[in-house]
Amino acid sequence: MKTIAVDLDDTLSNFTETIQRTQFPNPEQYGLSSEVFGRYIAMLRGGVSDAGDLLSTEYSYFCYKIHSECYKLATARPDGVEFMQWLRANGWRIVICTHRDLRRSNEGTRQWLRDNGIPFDFLFLALNKLDFCKAWEIQYLVDDHLFNLLHGDRYDIDIFYPIMSKHATFEKRAGRGFHDFGEIKQWIPG
Amino acid sequence: MDSRVTLLKEFYGGLPADRVKVETYEHGFPFLDQLLMSGVALEYGEIAAAGLLHKFKLSGVTEEAMDALLLSHIGKTRNVCLYFGEKVNSLFCYNLDNNHKTNNTELIPEMQCTVTLLRDILIGLGCEPLVIASGRGYHLWCRLEAPVDNQQLYEFMLRTMARAFLGLHQQGYDHNKIKANFYPDPRAHNTVSLRLFGSDHAKNKVFSRILSRDGLLDEDASWNAFEHHLREKTISIVAFHDAYASLLASI
Repeated sequence: MKTIAVDLDDTLSNFTETIQRTQFPNPEQYGLSSEVFGRYIAMLRGGVSDAGDLLSTEYSYFCYKIHSECYKLATARPDGVEFMQWLRANGWRIVICTHRDLRRSNEGTRQWLRDNGIPFDFLFLALNKLDFCKAWEIQYLVDDHLFNLLHGDRYDIDIFYPIMSKHATFEKRAGRGFHDFGEIKQWIPG
Repeated sequence: MDSRVTLLKEFYGGLPADRVKVETYEHGFPFLDQLLMSGVALEYGEIAAAGLLHKFKLSGVTEEAMDALLLSHIGKTRNVCLYFGEKVNSLFCYNLDNNHKTNNTELIPEMQCTVTLLRDILIGLGCEPLVIASGRGYHLWCRLEAPVDNQQLYEFMLRTMARAFLGLHQQGYDHNKIKANFYPDPRAHNTVSLRLFGSDHAKNKVFSRILSRDGLLDEDASWNAFEHHLREKTISIVAFHDAYASLLASI
């Protein structure tokens, strides 16, 4: 069966843009002063990860809460939705493959996919999507992550990525970039 | 049926048996098709950051399918993890993990101190836990003779944990080095599952040994301790409510 893995955040949705442009409230349940809240927002927008040695911290919890908000608020790319529906109509098995912590975001993610008319068969959390595709014999991966463009050639997986500014100066070794999801149709079986 | 499966079903009988998380190195679509037979649904799958360890959250699990999974659990080819009931539960569990990003399977002094303090507090309250070694720390399971409201269980665990952390501070340790979670957690139903006793840890392949007063028991002794706890240490509702009232009065 023809199978394809498709990423969510910054591929089908505008996740990072949502983080950058949304005015987030500072609810009481966070327990943060406005100064700390503002600092954490700036860190999150700057892509700063927790520098310390501890796994679970005030900042990691804050990031989880803001990310959860953005999963809901992010909008789907219309050309992405159309492409996913084309896959379904053409008999593809569709695997949504994400870095999201699905333990906590499974239901919300499913709801978002349903709300946006995005068909799928399975949801998978994979931090290394190349390993995942190789292990599951999935030939095609649609994903924006730079790691896949750097290492994809070693895995013999066809990678397609939405062209973004972060890809401009990056030395790519694998993958085909696209401006519109519809371009992918010419690179995969119908 | 294997007597160990019978024991597991009895001990964890208060938890919902229609959903499960399965940890296994098996994967691929033919395997998934097999897993999803007889109406079972995949909520999501997961592959570990390194290696081929997979986790599958399944719902609509039949009793027959669960029996097969439990058999593979004690056969150490798969691990079965169960979720808690939405409103009430007759089991509750403290999950203590080493909260460091690196070397977090190391047994740090804070962990040893916390597990000893918490066990003593619970015994003092007449609610002796079964302490099981887990990958990054310990699970402390308490088994009740009847279900109790989740919020009450959570408040009980929060207060006993606070008391244990107070003891930790008094001995000069930092509680931030321990990640403590309590289940059932009324804020996050159907989110976290806990591995059952009786199998090897998926990553380090170490059996879920029981921690006695004298140290970690071997596999056979752990099974004996597990059965003993089931038969002799189930907490009566009266004892739990007395313990809860005593906690409320003091913390």
